[in-house]
Amino acid sequence: MTVNTWIVVAGDPAIGDLIDTARSLGGEVTAAVVGPRPVADTVAAGGVDKVIWFGEPGDAPVEAYATAVADAIAAAPGVVLGSGGPGGRVLLGAAAARLQAPALTGASSVSLDGADVVVKRSVFGGIAEETVAVSGPVVLVLDGGSVPAATGSAPVEEIASVPLGMTVVQTKPSEFEEVDLGAAVRVVGIGRGLKTKKDLALIDGLAGASDAEVACSRPLAEGMDWLGKDRYIGVSGQNISPELYFAIGISGQLQHMVGVRGAKTIVAINSDPNAPVFTEADYGLVGDLYQIVPALTDALK
Amino acid sequence: MKIVVAYKWAPNPQDATVGAAGAVDWSRAKPAISEYDPVAVELARELADATGGEVIGLTAGAKGVDATMARKAALSRRFDRAVIVADDSLQGAGSTELAAVLAAAVRHIGDVDLVITGDSSVDVGGKMVPTVLAGQLGWPAVAEVSAVTGGAGSVRVERAIAGGTQVLEISGPAVLAASTDAAVPRLPGMKDILAATKKPVQTLTVAELGVPATGSTVTVKGTSRPDLKARKGQMIDAKDPAAAAAELVAALRGTGAL
Ligand SMILES: Cc1cc2nc3c(=O)[nH]c(=O)nc-3n(C[C@H](O)[C@H](O)[C@H](O)COP(=O)(O)OP(=O)(O)OC[C@H]3O[C@@H](n4cnc5c(N)ncnc54)[C@H](O)[C@@H]3O)c2cc1C
Ligand SMILES: Nc1ncnc2c1ncn2[C@@H]1O[C@H](COP(=O)(O)O)[C@@H](O)[C@H]1O
Repeated sequence: MTVNTWIVVAGDPAIGDLIDTARSLGGEVTAAVVGPRPVADTVAAGGVDKVIWFGEPGDAPVEAYATAVADAIAAAPGVVLGSGGPGGRVLLGAAAARLQAPALTGASSVSLDGADVVVKRSVFGGIAEETVAVSGPVVLVLDGGSVPAATGSAPVEEIASVPLGMTVVQTKPSEFEEVDLGAAVRVVGIGRGLKTKKDLALIDGLAGASDAEVACSRPLAEGMDWLGKDRYIGVSGQNISPELYFAIGISGQLQHMVGVRGAKTIVAINSDPNAPVFTEADYGLVGDLYQIVPALTDALK
Repeated sequence: MKIVVAYKWAPNPQDATVGAAGAVDWSRAKPAISEYDPVAVELARELADATGGEVIGLTAGAKGVDATMARKAALSRRFDRAVIVADDSLQGAGSTELAAVLAAAVRHIGDVDLVITGDSSVDVGGKMVPTVLAGQLGWPAVAEVSAVTGGAGSVRVERAIAGGTQVLEISGPAVLAASTDAAVPRLPGMKDILAATKKPVQTLTVAELGVPATGSTVTVKGTSRPDLKARKGQMIDAKDPAAAAAELVAALRGTGAL
C-alpha cells in the first residue's frame, strides 16, 4: 500500500524532514504552499511531486489562507503533514476540521499497516508513548527539519483564493538576539531560582567559562521576558541534545525536562533537595545558586 | 461583545504515573482548570469590560467537568456564566472531536464575537483544539496572542512570531489562543467563590448539539513508557561551594562533558 500525502507549508520552506516522512509513505507528495512565490519555488525544487500555491499574500498573514488550504486538501484527502509553528497549526487545524480527521502531535514514527497509518507519538507532556492506527485521513504536526536541497523541479500550480479577513498592520522585531540552541554543545539553563534580571550576568559568566549557550525555563522567557522566546526549553519550547546541560534554579517539571531528555549529561543545581530535577540529573548539587555558580565559574577558569 | 472562553478541566501529567506495562495511572492527578486557561479568562474579561460585554465559560468533557468542584472552580473565575458540555462519550476524545463539540456549542450559544482559549492544555498540550475549533466554524484563528483591543466585528491583536511580534487586524468573529503571558490572572477570592454559586450554568449533551461524524477511526494499539536514558543520580555535597565545584568540574572533565 501507498498513501498520498500533503505537506502544508506555512511560509517557511524548512520542511526537509516532512518530505522524508511523506516519501516513506510511498504515494504522491503534494505541497500546499502559503507565502511568497520564492517559498513555493524552493519547495518545488525540494523533492515533492507537485506544488499548489495560493498566490502572493501581500499583507495577509499565513492564517488568512486556512480555509483555502483546507478546501484544496479536501478535494483529495490523504495524510496531511505540517510543522507546528503558530501559523502552521492554524492551517493544519482547518484541514483537520474539514476532514474531521485526528490532529496528532509529538510523532516519532509514521508508517503504514495496510491502508492504516500507524503513528507512534509522545503523549501527556511526554510521560508516555502511544501507538495509534488511523484509518482514514490524518493530520500530523511534526518538526519541519531544514530547508531541502534543490534536487528536482515540480510544477507549481497557482490557485486563486480569497483570504480570510485579516491583515498584518505592523511587524516589530524582538529586542532579543536570535539563537540556535539546537547547535550548542553545552547549555546553561536558568529558571525562576534567579532573583533579578541583572543576575543573568552570573549565568552569562558560567556560560562563558564553559563555552555554553544560555537557555531557560518557560517563565523566564514568557512572563518575565528576561530572555527571548527561542531560549526556553521544553515541551512547548526547544528540544535540545547537548553534551552537557546545567539546570540551575529550575525545579524540573515534566514540561521542562522533556526538552533535555537527549542531553548526554545533566547537572542540577537547586536549593530544594526535593526538587524533581534531581531525579533526572547525572550530578546534583543542593545549595544556593548564588554561591555555587560563582564557585563553578572560578573552577572552570 | 460576546466572548466565549474555552477552558479545560484536566489533570497534570506531572502527577500521573506510567506502569511498567505502559498504562497511565491518573488516580493521584487531580483535575483543575488547565494551567494557562485563567490567562484567557483574564484577557477576555479585560476586553469585555472595556467594550461592555459578556464572558461565557465553555468546557467539554466527560461527566466530571460538571462535578460540583469543577463548576465552582470555573465559576469563581471572572465569567458571567458557563456552558458545560458534560458527556461520558467524550472520555478520551481527541482534539478534533473536542473542537467539533466546542464549535457546535459556540453555534448553540449564538452571536459569539470572539472565542479565546489558553495556549495549551496541561494534559494533552497539542495546541490544536483552538485551531481545529476555528476550522470547524470557518473563522480566522491566531495563536500566541499577547494583546487584544477593539470591539465586536473588528479586533486588533498582537501576536508573537519568530523573531518578534506582529499586529493583525481581523474582521468578523475569530478564535484567539492567548500566549501564556497575555494577562496576569487574578486568583479567586472568598467573594468570587461565594458569587460562583449564583452564576447561571447551562449543561448540554453531545446529542443536543448535532456534532459532525468523525472522518477517520483511531485505534490505540498500546501505550508504553518512553525509553529514557539512565542518569547517574550522583549527589555532590555542596556545603563548601568551592570544593563541590572542583569535584564537579573534575567529574565532568573525566567523562569528556567539559
Ligand atoms: C501545557 C504546559 C506546557 C509547558 N511547557 C513548558 C516548557 O516548554 N518549558 C518549561 O520550562 N516549562 C513549561 N511549562 C511550565 C512548567 O510546568 C513549569 O511551571 C516551569 O518549567 C517552571 O519553571 P522553573 O523551574 O524555572 O520555576 P519553579 O518551578 O518556580 O522553580 C524554581 C526553582 O528554583 C529553586 N531555587 C530558588 N531559589 C534558588 C537559589 N537561590 N538557588 C538555587 N535554586 C533556587 C527552587 O527550589 C525551585 O525548584 C509548561 C506548563 C504547561 C502546563
Ligand atoms: N475539552 C476542552 N474544553 C474546553 N476547552 C478546551 C478543551 N480542550 C482544549 N481546550 C482549549 O484549548 C486550549 C488548547 O488546548 P490543547 O489543544 O489541548 O493544547 C486550552 O488551553 C483550552 O483553552
